[in-house]
Amino acid sequence: MTEPVIVLKHLSKSFGNVHAVRDLSFQIEAGTIFGFLGPNGAGKTTTMRMLCGLTHPTGGRATIDGLDVWQDRQKVRTKFGYVPQRFSLYPDLTVAENFRFFGGAYGVPRAELESRVERLLRVIDLEEKKNTAAQSLSGGMRQLLAIGCALVHDPSLLFFDEPTVGLDPVHRQQIWNLLYDLSHEGKTIFVTTHYMDEVERCTEVGFIEEGRLLAKAPPRALKSSFRTRLLEVDIEPLMPALVRLRSLPELLGVSLRSGGLRLYVSDPEKLLARWRENWPFPDLRLLGERWVEPDMEDVFTAYSQGYHGVLRKPAS
Amino acid sequence: MKWLSLEAVASVAYKEFLHIYRDRRVLLLVLTLPPLFTLLFGHAFETGELTGVPSLLIDQDNTPRAQEFIDIISKNKTFQWRHGLPDMKDESNLLGHGVRAALVIPAGWNESLENGDPKPLLLYVDASDINTADAVEGSVRQSLGDFQLKQRDRMIETLPEEVFELGKQLPVQIRKRFVSMMEMWSVDRKLLYNPKSRVIDYVVPGIIGLILQLLTVTLMACTIARERESGTLYQLMVTSLRRREIVIGKMLPYLVVSVFLVLVIMVVSGWHFGVAFHQLPALALVCLLFLLCSLGLGLLISAFSRTQTQAIQFSVFFLLPVFVLSGAFAPLEQLPTAVRYVSELFPLTHFCRAFRLVNMYDAGLQFYTGDLVILLAGALITFIGAVFLLRRIEQ
Repeated sequence: MTEPVIVLKHLSKSFGNVHAVRDLSFQIEAGTIFGFLGPNGAGKTTTMRMLCGLTHPTGGRATIDGLDVWQDRQKVRTKFGYVPQRFSLYPDLTVAENFRFFGGAYGVPRAELESRVERLLRVIDLEEKKNTAAQSLSGGMRQLLAIGCALVHDPSLLFFDEPTVGLDPVHRQQIWNLLYDLSHEGKTIFVTTHYMDEVERCTEVGFIEEGRLLAKAPPRALKSSFRTRLLEVDIEPLMPALVRLRSLPELLGVSLRSGGLRLYVSDPEKLLARWRENWPFPDLRLLGERWVEPDMEDVFTAYSQGYHGVLRKPAS
Repeated sequence: MKWLSLEAVASVAYKEFLHIYRDRRVLLLVLTLPPLFTLLFGHAFETGELTGVPSLLIDQDNTPRAQEFIDIISKNKTFQWRHGLPDMKDESNLLGHGVRAALVIPAGWNESLENGDPKPLLLYVDASDINTADAVEGSVRQSLGDFQLKQRDRMIETLPEEVFELGKQLPVQIRKRFVSMMEMWSVDRKLLYNPKSRVIDYVVPGIIGLILQLLTVTLMACTIARERESGTLYQLMVTSLRRREIVIGKMLPYLVVSVFLVLVIMVVSGWHFGVAFHQLPALALVCLLFLLCSLGLGLLISAFSRTQTQAIQFSVFFLLPVFVLSGAFAPLEQLPTAVRYVSELFPLTHFCRAFRLVNMYDAGLQFYTGDLVILLAGALITFIGAVFLLRRIEQ
């Protein structure tokens, strides 16, 4: 087991009566790609900003490399790079000028800065845009530039707050490839997202909702926390079926996935046997059924909706 | 760790300089308005006196003597005379006649002067603006005095011989006293510190201060607010820059721009209005401290405001009273004592005082040390305040 880079101990943040983050305790090991998943307003950004020393915790504490993220924030800052949700570079400065500014701001030695900027321009594939003002770049290029600027002081830890929001699939893929490369170089990556497919790309996932940590484990372990197999059925007509099934008391939940209905139920075999014997909906036709692997969305839905009937504790 | 990293300050300063350089519209404004304003304000304050007040003159007496008086008062530059008919009844309706004053020479005026019971002239003045009312009355009195002096001289010239004979019988001492009473007692005026009595020399520090406060305070006020608005301030805060490095780095390019503007304004007022500048090192010190104080104020407003709009509103509200109460264009002594204490709070007050002491009075350092100390204190307080306020955005 490697040393934990980030350690959270009962970390909390309240704004008056609003508890944005409640009692978070977990740790992240070096070299991890940690995906922090949760709906909007769940406390992802607040947690990340506390870890970056931008806002002070109202309870508990967190450390990066053993240094308190609030008390020692001046020292901690050289250890990580931060890419916020909103584009936060200088639009009137060129790509190279943005790099040089952040290089200077992080105290990168001048002799080393130019070669580092050249290397990063290659990494983010913006060599040709070197002298273009940041405001003239496309959304994807801006995001790449923001990542590049966060790398200028060669930190071992990177925070990304929803790095791919609003980007086209090509740029999303490009950014994830970049994250893999960084991870391969041994950097630890902390990324928030609400895209389920992106979570699958992480080596470790944390679910957060209403400021509380619901689960934290590698994606595979989370998926195997489904206690039962997942039943997917084809029923016609589809939409009335969705409504009717939702009102069935023994079903914890139903979700529609590419034309099939996934049923969250604690004993799907029993339900299916009963339905085969006696189909309860004369106006609906059961066309077929199959067993499927739960995906991350199923897992997150189960955790966030509290479908404890289908879950067991993940082996973390 | 060093208290201040020069490299860090330099990178912030260079970035901030690029912001100014890239914003061509503001740059154009910054470079053209100050010399333009200097010309405009300079000419506006060239003469301090009231001239060409539209006034109505009604001569009901219609005698040669009244005409003589009219000739004298017609030469008075304060007035732009229009002649009314003698039988005019509504001379007090100044607004209706489109004038600010009306002077009536009453019927029988000449006769009353002859008979030793001089009738007063009648003056109606628009007192809505007190300065105009006083100046108009003073001008009428002055012309009347000139007229009376002439009349007296003529009377003495035409006195019959017997009067002189009679006079010679009086004791010498009494005769001397009479002569003395007949002479106009006078003041021998020596103008000091501004011998040519030029308003422009007095007003130059006001113009410099006004333009610089307008530009530097508002521009500076926008810098941190802009970063806060665009989210870049957080990006700035996660770097290893310290708050003091951010504040000093942001201030430097604006200081350079301001120094350049001071020079431009001084060159324009020297070349176009012939204003002379003395003790350049002392002036430079006064200007530098004033600039630091103004920039610090801008930073303070900037660190305090959430948006650029707020920053501009705060600056305008701060600058409004300054123009009226700082003594930039009129002496502070016009203000009541209690208000003068408020004036002492504004950097412009101390700047104008120190600037005039150096440039007009050629005074030694001991006369304006107090003002320099206050400007320095203001600069320190505002900078430390801005650094402290920046702390709040981390919470």
